[in-house]
Amino acid sequence: MLEIDRLKAGYEDKVIVEVPWLALASGEHCLILGDSGSGKTTLLCTMAGLLTPLGGAITVNGQDIGNLHGSALDTFRGRHIGMIYQTLHMVSALTVLENVLLAQYAAGVAQDRDRALVLLEQLGIADKKDHKPATLSQGQQQRVAIARAAINSPGIIVGDEPTSALDDRSCGTVMGLLLQLAASSNASLVIATHDQRIKGYFHKEIRVGGIQ
Amino acid sequence: MNNLRLSCAYLRHKKLSTALTVTTFAAGVAMIVVLLLVNAQLQNEFANNLRGIDLVVGAKGSPMQLILSSVFHLDVPNGNIPLAQAERLSKHPMVREAIPLALGDNYRGFRIVGTTQAYPEHYRARLKAGGRYFNKEMEAVLGAEVAERCGLKPGDRFAGSHGLAMGGEVHAQFPYTVVGILEPTDSVLDRLVLTGMESVWYIHEHHHDDDGDHEPAGHPEQAGAHHDADSDAGHHTGKDADHETGSHAERDADHHAGAAGHDHEREITALLISYNSPLAAAGLPRMIDKTNSMQAASPAFEMARLNAFMGRGTETLKYMAWFLIALAGFGIFAGLYNAMNERRYDLALMRSFGARPGKLFALVMTESLIVSLVGAGVGVLTGHLLVEGIASWLANAKHVQMTGLLFLAEEAWLFPVSIAVGGLAALLPAVRVYRIDIVKTLVQR
Repeated sequence: MLEIDRLKAGYEDKVIVEVPWLALASGEHCLILGDSGSGKTTLLCTMAGLLTPLGGAITVNGQDIGNLHGSALDTFRGRHIGMIYQTLHMVSALTVLENVLLAQYAAGVAQDRDRALVLLEQLGIADKKDHKPATLSQGQQQRVAIARAAINSPGIIVGDEPTSALDDRSCGTVMGLLLQLAASSNASLVIATHDQRIKGYFHKEIRVGGIQ
Repeated sequence: MNNLRLSCAYLRHKKLSTALTVTTFAAGVAMIVVLLLVNAQLQNEFANNLRGIDLVVGAKGSPMQLILSSVFHLDVPNGNIPLAQAERLSKHPMVREAIPLALGDNYRGFRIVGTTQAYPEHYRARLKAGGRYFNKEMEAVLGAEVAERCGLKPGDRFAGSHGLAMGGEVHAQFPYTVVGILEPTDSVLDRLVLTGMESVWYIHEHHHDDDGDHEPAGHPEQAGAHHDADSDAGHHTGKDADHETGSHAERDADHHAGAAGHDHEREITALLISYNSPLAAAGLPRMIDKTNSMQAASPAFEMARLNAFMGRGTETLKYMAWFLIALAGFGIFAGLYNAMNERRYDLALMRSFGARPGKLFALVMTESLIVSLVGAGVGVLTGHLLVEGIASWLANAKHVQMTGLLFLAEEAWLFPVSIAVGGLAALLPAVRVYRIDIVKTLVQR
């Protein structure tokens, strides 16, 4: 599902992180640990197809992302990778449901309202579907972001500190939901965090920032 | 979710600035629509009223005023001319048709015009069924609009009042009888009351016989074959007996013109002349201008002059309208440019979810085009409503007939032009979509 081989990640020709080897089977989850500024996010963005690898190979669903460019990369990213940003980036002009459907609109795939509603139901925010994100709490917005990342049934769901802003109880709930969604579409979770509370949920972990 | 719905969501999200831009755009478009409609209808009105009239002969004074007062019935006449001279002119070999007009009274603001049957026939007017033309004094034929607005039908009687606008002394003791109503002609005829010239003379000579104060012909307010009665109603009551006796002598204008025995030389206000040959234009006006009581005015020439005046005003307004549209275009541009700044997260997010830049370019374009097309639509609608408003105002003033329900082919051009303005305004903001750095925009570090 995900395979990394001597990957050099960074941008503008500056290598920030190197990962010699990582392989995740479908449904296997991986944690990326590291201090702030260690390059966790850079690595995540490279895995998500937002940054071009500076060396080595990164294969998602059998496709080497480094070989994809332009609109081919855009399309691949839209269909195979779900992304949860640390800053949630809700589109304030749209409702919760529309925010979820936006990911399908952007990916250019058929929009499945029913699936979006099922996801919102699973995440416990179906009653908010016609609300604007600004009226939701941080935790509720987090769930919308998760639904948005999962709507296209991606092979990997990449999350940047999805739990660090949450209290212990919410943290547990969100991790539970993420694992549940990942399991239902047999996706791999790749989460970058410095949040020690969630270590137990993952099969593998890599540490960036010197020690690997 | 599609481009259209997403754009609408964004436009709804910033209602105020959307409303402002649409309004500005609509104002510019409405202004152009008003100019187009008013201009087209005025030109049409002018053309209909000028039909076949080569020369207008009237009292000396402003030729423009002469044309406006006697062809379009807009201005007041500048005086009268002696009937005898007008008759002589009518028999000139180069004159094919000469229509005499005698003004002076109105009925509820509609001018009463003493003339001959040649006047309505010149405009190819037809009588409505059951009507006939006037053949003796105090019989009147009504224009279509007059009949409709005043609710008169053949057999009804009404009294004219003094002067060319409402509010003058009512000639209650000389009522007219409606004998016919004209079909609509799309010319000034629709707003006139026609009667024989003898009626006009009849009323005013009866006034005149009493007090004898001859009004100067140059007096515009009460010009026409008209003599003021000093509003003494008492004079008239005793005169009703003269009614029958005075009437038959005035049945036909030809007979009249030679009636030197009469106390006063009869006058008319203007003579509308059609030439027999184009050559007439060379000599006839000059010959008329040489007389000391008459002048000749060429409607074509005066209208060209009027158009030149109005053209300048219209031109200025047109530039202003285009300026408004350009301003609205700039408003769209500024609005979008700012929005792109606020929205760079949304756009980067969509990019990261797989949206190609071209898709987002189309999205930004769609938003701008919605604003410009809605603006154009609202503008066209407003323009028509405004003209309809002007029309109902003008209808009360009984001047020019207009409608807001006329749609011109030129208006269709406003839509492609609006699309061009909208597209141009969105171009720069939309191109910025291609330069979004997804990672830098979305990821805090």
